[in-house]
Amino acid sequence: MNIVVLVKQVPDTWSERKLTDADHTLDRDSADAVLDEINERAVEEALLIKEAQGGEVTVITMGPDRATDAIRKALSMGADKAVHLSDPALHGSCAVQTAKVLATLVGTVEGAELVIAGNESTDGRAGAVPAMIAEILGWAQLTQVRKLEVDGTTVRAERETDTGIANLEASLPAVVSVNEKINEPRYPSFKGIMAAKKKPVSTLTIADAGIDASEVGLANATTTVLEAAPKPPRTAGQRVEDDGTGGTKVAEFLVGQKLI
Amino acid sequence: MNAFIETEERRALRAAVAALGARYGHEYFTAKARAGEKTAELWAEAGALGYLGVSVPESYGGGGGGIGDLAAVCEELAAAGAPMLLMVVSPAICATVIARFGTDAQRARWLPGFADGTTKMAFAITEPDAGSNSHRLATAVRRDGDEWVLDGGKHYISGVDEVEAVLVVARHVSATGERLAPSLLIVPTDAPGFTFRPVEMDLVSPERQFTCFFDGVRLPADALVGSEDAGLAQLFAGLNPERIMAAAFATGVARRALAQAADYARTREVWGTPIGAHQGLAHPLAACAIQIELARLMTQKAAALYDSGQDGAAGEAANMAKYAAAEACVATVDQAVQVHGGNGLATEYGLGSLLGASRVMRIAPVSREMILNFVAQNTLKLPRSY
Ligand SMILES: Cc1cc2nc3c(=O)[nH]c(=O)nc-3n(C[C@H](O)[C@H](O)[C@H](O)COP(=O)(O)OP(=O)(O)OC[C@H]3O[C@@H](n4cnc5c(N)ncnc54)[C@H](O)[C@@H]3O)c2cc1C
Ligand SMILES: Cc1cc2nc3c(=O)[nH]c(=O)nc-3n(C[C@H](O)[C@H](O)[C@H](O)COP(=O)(O)OP(=O)(O)OC[C@H]3O[C@@H](n4cnc5c(N)ncnc54)[C@H](O)[C@@H]3O)c2cc1C
Repeated sequence: MNIVVLVKQVPDTWSERKLTDADHTLDRDSADAVLDEINERAVEEALLIKEAQGGEVTVITMGPDRATDAIRKALSMGADKAVHLSDPALHGSCAVQTAKVLATLVGTVEGAELVIAGNESTDGRAGAVPAMIAEILGWAQLTQVRKLEVDGTTVRAERETDTGIANLEASLPAVVSVNEKINEPRYPSFKGIMAAKKKPVSTLTIADAGIDASEVGLANATTTVLEAAPKPPRTAGQRVEDDGTGGTKVAEFLVGQKLI
Repeated sequence: MNAFIETEERRALRAAVAALGARYGHEYFTAKARAGEKTAELWAEAGALGYLGVSVPESYGGGGGGIGDLAAVCEELAAAGAPMLLMVVSPAICATVIARFGTDAQRARWLPGFADGTTKMAFAITEPDAGSNSHRLATAVRRDGDEWVLDGGKHYISGVDEVEAVLVVARHVSATGERLAPSLLIVPTDAPGFTFRPVEMDLVSPERQFTCFFDGVRLPADALVGSEDAGLAQLFAGLNPERIMAAAFATGVARRALAQAADYARTREVWGTPIGAHQGLAHPLAACAIQIELARLMTQKAAALYDSGQDGAAGEAANMAKYAAAEACVATVDQAVQVHGGNGLATEYGLGSLLGASRVMRIAPVSREMILNFVAQNTLKLPRSY
């Protein structure tokens, strides 16, 4: 079975992340770029399925040239090949445009029956792209998954939400999005690292992919960020010295905040 | 000319090893050391990922990389707070010597284990009465029929309690008792006549040092690695990687101490401003950063020379790198302790124990003074005093 993993390069959560003043899109120069950790888990899940059942794992990313680093990381973990869509026209694309583009790219991968993605990127955090891709492709969608099993043409999954666990079952083809409990991603082995550079990466422009410029980019986006402000820093809070009455003071504080 | 920048693969290797090292970290390392245990889990995992066998030839299951790759692994683990001393001897000296000078049978016997880290081997050259003077080595090997017989002793040998065998430097002795060239012999730790006992050290380290006694240890013909009369040339083929690895180990420890010191200096306030604002602290830290970076650069140069087959040039560079790295390590740990004030000596901060560890770098595997002697005589052609 051929699996497609959707990976995204994001600014490292440990570095300072900013939007540009000019158009409120991500300031990619201000932070280190890394393969989104949730995508490492998506790659890991695809590799586990491949190792058990055979097939090929293709990673797809849409992002600027330096997103090749994220691709290499996925390839060094063991993915077989990659498709990298890189085009200045993509700058500022919204979630809907992104989903359409990615769905088009999935269509170029021969024999792809299963798409695995992260449930939510650590930068945009829309959490919508995998479901939209499933919708566009007309494939089953199993989102927010913490456990996945592929048995013949049947996919079974456990979806975890704030309210509980749902057991899902669908037939291939399907789009799955995984949460951080799905697995522990492997470290790339030295051989994996050395092999990564020799694996095929097809780098496409939107023209190569048959996508029209009017379907993508900031100017045609369905949503636009009008204003952005950093979260105000946390205020120091109130300090309670415990002179024996500490417990009472904490309780009074919580009552004051209508928390108890 | 772009050799100042490491390849994409080397950087990816560093990132992968750093991530693995971070999961273990300094607390794991010191907890193991203080409990008298080994960092076996880290060794096993790094081995399975091929990180310990990066420089073993691919035909024996290794990564087919060079000492530069192995040094990167060693440095990143040390920088993550979980240095592994045996990397300096087992994969760097022992695997290299066997790969370069061993017979096909010896390679087939040992290299696959080095490739995945399941084999560990110690290295023994230091002797009580010879010290830095390897011409005075007294441990002797003589031929008896098809076998070798080994007599003598070594001290300060790391890791003997956790290895399968020790690669021992011994001198051949002729039938008339004449001392000939030194050779390398693989001595299994369970060989009859081989005993060892720990040297009590004031170091917080999972690896221990041992005094070894060889009392008529009989070894098969294939215990000898390389030719009988090759002498020091073969030995130095293993010692250059050792120096490069020691340098990598030292810069890794130094990087960790520096990062911790800088973190502390950015946040600790005693006069209403972070202590890092005082130039009395900022400048020494900046000087340490420069020393470390220069030492890393020299280490990479030494590795690049070695990996391109230039043993002679690699020897000078490896010694210079080892010197620079040890001095950077000693200076940085010292400054990191100072920056932390009283906390610098508290167990919780993990710096006090680095004071001893950093001094090891100045003594082993070759002392600061012997490197200065080497540079004085070889690079500057100055006369020797000894
Ligand atoms: C933690 C640790 C681990 C070790 N692990 C190993 C191991 O695995 N295998 C192994 O074989 N050895 C090992 N050693 C031994 C180490 O390599 C030696 O301690 C080192 O080579 C110095 O030798 P020495 O101790 O005999 O010092 P000595 O040779 O006695 O030297 C004492 C001092 O005199 C100085 N000196 C000597 N000669 C001169 C000279 N001509 N000019 C100026 N100064 C001079 C030295 O620099 C040194 O400062 C280890 C040592 C330590 C501390
Ligand atoms: C073994 C031990 C025993 C001790 N016993 C006692 C005891 O019996 N009684 C007691 O009261 N205390 C004791 N102390 C505490 C000791 O006096 C303090 O650790 C020491 O005064 C330094 O203070 P600090 O640790 O808060 O360092 P900090 O004040 O945090 O200083 C950290 C670093 O910043 C430097 N620094 C600070 N300000 C400046 C500046 N303006 N310019 C440049 N550099 C600066 C310091 O020199 C130091 O290197 C002990 C400490 C130890 C380790």
